[in-house]
Amino acid sequence: MRRAPLRSLLGSFAAGAALLVPALAGAQDIAIRNATIQTITNGVIENGTIVVRDGRIAAIGQNVQIPAGMQVIDGEGMYVMPGMIDAHSHMAIEGGINEGSESVTPEVKIQPTPDDLTIYRALAGGVTSANLMHGSANTIGGQSAIVKMRWGSTLDEMWFEGAERIVKFALGENVTRASSSQSDADRRYPKSRMGVEQLLRWWFSEAQKYQAEWQAYEANRRRDANALPPREDLRLQALVDIMNGEIKVHAHSYRADEILMLMRVAEDFDFRIHTFQHVLEGYKVADEMAEHGAHASTFAEMWGYKVEANDAIPYNMAIMADRGVVVSVNSDSGERVRRLYQEAAMGMKYGDMAEVEALKMVTLNPAIQLGVDDQVGSLEVGKEADITIFNGHPFAPASRVQKTLVDGRVLFDRDQAMTLEKLIQRAVTTTTEDAS
Amino acid sequence: MNRAAIRRIPALVAAITITAVPGDAVAQAGNGEDGPFLIRGATVVTVSGPRMANTDVLIRDGMIAEIGQNVQAAGVLEFDATGMFVYPGMMNGYTSIGLSDIGSVQTMNLTSELGDFNPNNRALVALNVETQMIPVTRANGVTHVVTAPSGGVMPGQAAVINLEGWTWEDLAVSPSAAFVINYPSTGGGGGRGGFGGRGGAGGGERAAEAINELKNLLRTAQAYDAMRSGEEGEFNLKLESMRPLVRGETLALVSANSREQIEGAMMLADSFGLKVAVLGGNEAWKVRNELARRNVPVVLGSIQSTPSGTAPYDAIYAQPGILRRAGVKIAFSTGGTSSARHLPYNAALSVAYDLDPDDALRALTLWPAEIFGIADQVGSIEVGKKANLFIADGDPLDVRTHMLEVFIDGKRIPHDDRHFQLYEKWNGRPVRR
Repeated sequence: MRRAPLRSLLGSFAAGAALLVPALAGAQDIAIRNATIQTITNGVIENGTIVVRDGRIAAIGQNVQIPAGMQVIDGEGMYVMPGMIDAHSHMAIEGGINEGSESVTPEVKIQPTPDDLTIYRALAGGVTSANLMHGSANTIGGQSAIVKMRWGSTLDEMWFEGAERIVKFALGENVTRASSSQSDADRRYPKSRMGVEQLLRWWFSEAQKYQAEWQAYEANRRRDANALPPREDLRLQALVDIMNGEIKVHAHSYRADEILMLMRVAEDFDFRIHTFQHVLEGYKVADEMAEHGAHASTFAEMWGYKVEANDAIPYNMAIMADRGVVVSVNSDSGERVRRLYQEAAMGMKYGDMAEVEALKMVTLNPAIQLGVDDQVGSLEVGKEADITIFNGHPFAPASRVQKTLVDGRVLFDRDQAMTLEKLIQRAVTTTTEDAS
Repeated sequence: MNRAAIRRIPALVAAITITAVPGDAVAQAGNGEDGPFLIRGATVVTVSGPRMANTDVLIRDGMIAEIGQNVQAAGVLEFDATGMFVYPGMMNGYTSIGLSDIGSVQTMNLTSELGDFNPNNRALVALNVETQMIPVTRANGVTHVVTAPSGGVMPGQAAVINLEGWTWEDLAVSPSAAFVINYPSTGGGGGRGGFGGRGGAGGGERAAEAINELKNLLRTAQAYDAMRSGEEGEFNLKLESMRPLVRGETLALVSANSREQIEGAMMLADSFGLKVAVLGGNEAWKVRNELARRNVPVVLGSIQSTPSGTAPYDAIYAQPGILRRAGVKIAFSTGGTSSARHLPYNAALSVAYDLDPDDALRALTLWPAEIFGIADQVGSIEVGKKANLFIADGDPLDVRTHMLEVFIDGKRIPHDDRHFQLYEKWNGRPVRR
């Protein structure tokens, strides 16, 4: 197994942080008591208790007994909610995020790395898992790595077991501007949205032929033991897997026309677009998306940074949700992942989403989009104990994350973390000691 | 002028009702609506003084004319703001609104000039008043902003502008509010801003040269100022522009993030007598006492950013509180254009990490006005100040709060921003079944 070399800076930080974080193999039995618990699926429990055994929620409610000897977090004044899930991230990826040589590369896979400081910072923002995606340079890019923020773990321990296989598609400006500085003769096809549609149709036609060849071979083999199999093609096989629904499509998209186009292409090849990413004009075709069965993972308020983002409006989330689309709000950034809760609150400001619907956009809905809603995304008995503890309501301006648990392990704890205030205090103490 | 249906959030806005309207046609300036206006029964958060419960605010001739209880005025448009709050309009300490628009379109972003030293360039004269960024930004209670040129060492003069008016002359609150100086970085911590283009191999040397050039130019400008004061020497466009800078009359807004750059900014104050404010200031906490001693304020870069290197995870969030406790005056800013409206949520992150909430509000209103020398005009709810203010249904730092009515220069801002218009249009699309 290939292991990522620790870069020196991060390495020294990781070593320091390891002292502050309990060993990953530590206790997974823990209880939180006397807290406000936002279950997402079963309302809010005041003065509630959660008991975690073997990394899963064993009991939750007001009248729950904590087994003797169990480690207990006092939740007085705290607001406890499911760990947040980032449905679109490029953090913690080894090497590049784009296989930009060709426009169709579904056979490549994102390679995560466990030593990216962004993982720790995401935990400090209450995020417990993420969809690490291929970039948007290709019409059909590579496959995601879906991981839990198990800071301090090895590469093998990062994977979110049970998650969907996800492939990134991309439309519009990013895929058409590849090699745009070169002469037309040297450019990568396609350079227009029209070309993007035809490229998709060409490749899925090829995949249909490939699938037919294998089906013919499988049928032949029963009659003829010496039948030769077709040449195996990992790219076409991945496209077949997409058509068969074994790999779910998450499609980077901006404009209403291209969102509609992709749904119609998929329908012609008898598969579905699972989730549109960014989908900043989703509000214009929300009914069509709901009809198709597509989910949406969007930015809360980003707009105007390029022409295809110029009709982006912060009401997008509310309109799509109102018309029956499952909506999540993602970070796509090492910065926004630190405050996804602030982004989710925008749903209440712009379009008056109900509070729990806004909270779902960073919990249950992204869990649905990554195929892990039976495991995480709400606080229910039997689910994995990925839990974020705020010192107040997550949408209130004075609130911050105090503790974040993954599989019942406390992997971020503000009381233990190095903070700017502590760093200053330590510097003052050191200086005083030096002087004496 | 019966404009009953003006509301983005019908359920909330119903609480504000127009109870009287003037008989004759109301004059328009920009697309804001002229007063007089009377806001009734609000909790008025003056910022300069205590909160005033159940209080009326009269807006007349562009100014705050009266604050009190049972204010009487004839022929005014009246807002029943019972249960609502009145705040001074927020000021964004650093943007490029008017100079730039859609980020990826080069011709919509002519924010920088050729060459490293263009102190005579003025942002104000190149502002596009029709930019879509203005209505979107002011809709969230950000009523005036610093807009600044960028690039090189001295990209030019920043203006403070109202986000309302027909021409850039109308917009100007302070036409030349500050000279921007991007303090060259010779390497080291901090990372963001300040002459990043000169990083990498040999970057330190080139930056050191640029610092020398900057010092030489300032010395030349000082000499020029002395000469011209004695009515000697020839007129020089660039040096002439710098006279208020070297006299310490106009602010030097020095972009500096690393400790080394910030120390350079303080050197400009000590050695050249410039009136300095630090812009960005990622590592300002390392020299907080030195900044406080010199009364050098910090216009903070976006709090919605990541710490550089291995700084503590909360370094950006927690720094504003730490600077305040050391006695440094601060102001918030976002940079750029499209996120300028969400200025208060930068402050909210700092409050979550121990900045006093009242200080956060001051750093969004009165303190930036003081730093840029316009506190006699804006920054608080006081009689005689420009009526730049807004009515909200809660704390502006809370994302969930709705800004219900915004007034700039005494004009009531229509709910006409592009985002609200697109919302109304597409929310009204018949459901497809």
